[in-house]
Amino acid sequence: MFRNYLKIAWRNLHRSKAYALINITGLSAGMAVAMLIGLWIWDEVSYNKYHQHYDRIVQIMRQATFQGVTGTGQAVPIPLADYLRTHYGSDFKSVVTSSWTLENIIAAGDNKLTSTGIYMEPQAPEMLSLQMLEGSRKTALQDVNTILLSASLARSLFGGQPATGKIVKLNNKTDVRVSGVYADIPHNSSFSDLAFIAPFSQYLATSGDWAKHAVTDWNEYSFQMFAELNPQVDAQKVSGKIQSVIKDNSADESNPMLLLHPMRKWKLYSEFQNGINTGGDIRFVWLFGLIGVFVLLLGCINFMNLSTARAARRAREVGIRKAIGSAKEQLVGQFLSESLLVVAIGFCIALLLTMLFLPWFNNVADKQIALPWGSVSFWLLCAGFMLVTGVLAGSYPAFYLSAFQPVKVLKGTFRAGRFAAMPRKVLVIVQFAVSVILIIGTVIIFQQIQYTKHRAIGYSRDGLITIPMNTPDLFGHYDALQKDLQATGMVENMAESSSPTTQLFSRGGENMKWRGKREEEKILFGNIACTHDFGATIGWQILAGRDFSREYATDSSAMILNASAATVMGLKDPVGEKIQWGKHQYTVIGVVKDLLMESPFATAMPTVFRLNYDWANVITVKIKPGRDNRAALDKIAAVFKKYNPGSPFNYKFNDQEYGKKFMAEERIGKLAGCFAILAILISCLGIFGLASFTAEQRIKEIGVRKVLGATVLSIWALLSGDFLKLVFIAFLLAAPAAYYGMQHWLQQYEYRTPIHWWIFMATGGAALGITLTVVSYQAIKAAVINPVKSLRTE
Amino acid sequence: MIQLRHISKHYPVGFGKNEILKDVDLTIFEGEFVSIMGPSGSGKSTLLHILGLLEEPSSGDYLFEGELVNKMNEKKRTQLHRGSIGFVFQAYHLIDELTVYENIETPLLYKNIPGAERKSRVADVLDRFNMVAKKDLFPNQLSGGQQQLVGIARAIVAEPRVILADEPTGNLHSDQARVIMQLFKHLNETDKITIIQVTHSEQNAAFGHRVIEIRDGKIQ
Repeated sequence: MFRNYLKIAWRNLHRSKAYALINITGLSAGMAVAMLIGLWIWDEVSYNKYHQHYDRIVQIMRQATFQGVTGTGQAVPIPLADYLRTHYGSDFKSVVTSSWTLENIIAAGDNKLTSTGIYMEPQAPEMLSLQMLEGSRKTALQDVNTILLSASLARSLFGGQPATGKIVKLNNKTDVRVSGVYADIPHNSSFSDLAFIAPFSQYLATSGDWAKHAVTDWNEYSFQMFAELNPQVDAQKVSGKIQSVIKDNSADESNPMLLLHPMRKWKLYSEFQNGINTGGDIRFVWLFGLIGVFVLLLGCINFMNLSTARAARRAREVGIRKAIGSAKEQLVGQFLSESLLVVAIGFCIALLLTMLFLPWFNNVADKQIALPWGSVSFWLLCAGFMLVTGVLAGSYPAFYLSAFQPVKVLKGTFRAGRFAAMPRKVLVIVQFAVSVILIIGTVIIFQQIQYTKHRAIGYSRDGLITIPMNTPDLFGHYDALQKDLQATGMVENMAESSSPTTQLFSRGGENMKWRGKREEEKILFGNIACTHDFGATIGWQILAGRDFSREYATDSSAMILNASAATVMGLKDPVGEKIQWGKHQYTVIGVVKDLLMESPFATAMPTVFRLNYDWANVITVKIKPGRDNRAALDKIAAVFKKYNPGSPFNYKFNDQEYGKKFMAEERIGKLAGCFAILAILISCLGIFGLASFTAEQRIKEIGVRKVLGATVLSIWALLSGDFLKLVFIAFLLAAPAAYYGMQHWLQQYEYRTPIHWWIFMATGGAALGITLTVVSYQAIKAAVINPVKSLRTE
Repeated sequence: MIQLRHISKHYPVGFGKNEILKDVDLTIFEGEFVSIMGPSGSGKSTLLHILGLLEEPSSGDYLFEGELVNKMNEKKRTQLHRGSIGFVFQAYHLIDELTVYENIETPLLYKNIPGAERKSRVADVLDRFNMVAKKDLFPNQLSGGQQQLVGIARAIVAEPRVILADEPTGNLHSDQARVIMQLFKHLNETDKITIIQVTHSEQNAAFGHRVIEIRDGKIQ
């Protein structure tokens, strides 16, 4: 029976190839989009599952409240670890204090590489269930001067040789022994960027005095802490138990509260607003999931519309089958198996398309997804997916077709009623409404990006490069380095600072006092140390007072505020004001325009700048305008080689670093754009098919009209007008929905573009234009047929 | 075998109704070959459709072998339809996408007859109608007479007790028509199949035992 159904389905497809082509193209495009998005969602929700103790690993987070606003961050103090071990030992299997992920220079002989690594306590390899290729998880980080390498780093350093036991030099300072090699952590783990793991004790030993103090300082929030809970321990409960540990042990007035953030929430629920875990990337999972379902639906709608539009052709068959004994359910089964066949063909093409576009998709989405050919559950999911799509696309036509009255059909009195085309029209409206919403959404996303890119950033990015100061060799030659750089003729200026212009490493100042400050006020400031040349190098704009100057010896206790800082402090004329910060008193000498150091979408943080030549993390160099970058970099590299011979010359263009801040938005924009284009293509295919069907169906009417004197133009208007009306209605429905949705989306940005009315007009116009083009082909084709011919066919 | 009691059929037209059949009483015995005749629009096709369960009467009782058809549930009606009734149409109504063989096989598929038996029964019928050579052709590759032969083959392959034929020779010229009518006669005499045909032609009617005249929805 089933074979008989498939046979007919196949012959039907074969007989009407254009119809089959439209259906299969639409469905396979829709399914390919759904599959790509499905793979993406699968990757997102299985993030971090590589780690066996996924369910029990937590990060210990700290919340602090300033001015009534609670912020949540990862920075915690060292003594917390021991406290948790001794007081809550039954809850925690292990507690692992850790540094931040840092860029380091690692050298095996002359082979020097810059790689990102982390310093963690010895239980880390066990906790993260690293797969050891050499060495043992338990003992690898026990000794201070050891290091664990990832397989790929070991390969780059030693070729194929076993690495264990070999000596490498870290940051031109410390000789350490390789104690093991672990398999690279896959891309969809929070730890995937770790090229090495070294003992935390080594970090403390090599980081100078502040680190030694930090061991006992409950308020030195400069570290991360991970933990593995014991089995059957509820993270929520432990979170409640330990929340006030820091408050109980120190005098921090920011009301520090601890909480455990479970690993399964790290990726998709990473955002906290005022102390509450509000979500995060999960909204993209929903957004893209929704888009995937909708694009798939568009393909299914094509199938439904073309099947029901062609119903007249199938009606006779339905009538005969009923007359010779088919029950209605059997006909439903037949039509469903037809749609399943089309879906199955579409699926094979979709699978090919997915394979073809996966590298591109991985690139845009920053993923490393591979099709899991060997996984049984993958194929089961695929089968389920096909079934769902088949039923989605096929059930409406199946019930529609199988409901025909055999007598009417066989007598030849079958005529689609006046309202038979109504559901088709509604479905076309749905298609175009979805497409229009996607297009408007994409345009607004790119508008937001463009709008923000043109935002004034308070300094000049042109020709700025940043060089990290991660070896001791770079310290202590400030003047000589500056002179040598300027002597190349390529460099305008150079400065050192605690943060690059594109990031804000340090915050503080909640205890600062100034005239008129209310006692209960607690404001967190961005805290930047820099050299005299910082302002001149980056070209900041002084609004009041003056820049730091070597002519004033007193500038060692000078402070420059950014405009936001001056505003929140309530200082009308800040220049000359005294500010007490701990034991030091500073004098405000100037106010600069806000520098956009963090998110370009947010307002700048109130920030203070002070002179300090010892607290420097980066060197910023400004290349003279008009100089060739390549040549300039060569000369600069030569200078750095002289002062820092043990390290490769690493630099970053501030421009590019700034550009990276738009990556998430650009990624969404690009993906949404592609899906929008596909959506409109699928919808156009659908109306193309419908238009050809209508033209065919009305061929006699057109013939008669022409005989009666209708012009080609009037017939073209007659046929196209119907479709234009539908698209116009779709636009009317989509525009407010898109406006509302994008308004909501923009709310997440403090700095946001207004939504312009012309976007809607342009999108609506484009949709109508495309429709007209697609439909006109069929309409004109039908309109120019010689009526003698079309009337004779009757 | 078949008994109609006070059967009426009407369609709504605007605010009134169009009466097609008015209070029809009719009895047909097993093994009869009956011809229904009458002018266009007299209701003969509707009567045939009601007999064939394709339409329901507006009122009245339809008894098939003493059982009241209008009281049967959907499943039983479908069974009766599949097992006992074969249809032959004026326009043949073969499925264009299926070959001769597959067209004949289709009713057996609906009766859920196992593959081997299906094969032998279709082969039997093909053999009997001398169409073995044509079994893989599609309907549009056959002449009208041949198509109607396939139509009849399809009607009898499920071994029905009654064949309902709606002007089976209406689209054929007289030679072909005679062949078809002789086939009906043969089926009636040797296979004991009850045949009810609608026809315009006195000649065709002469092949049957009895003629029922219908005019304005009433049996004369």
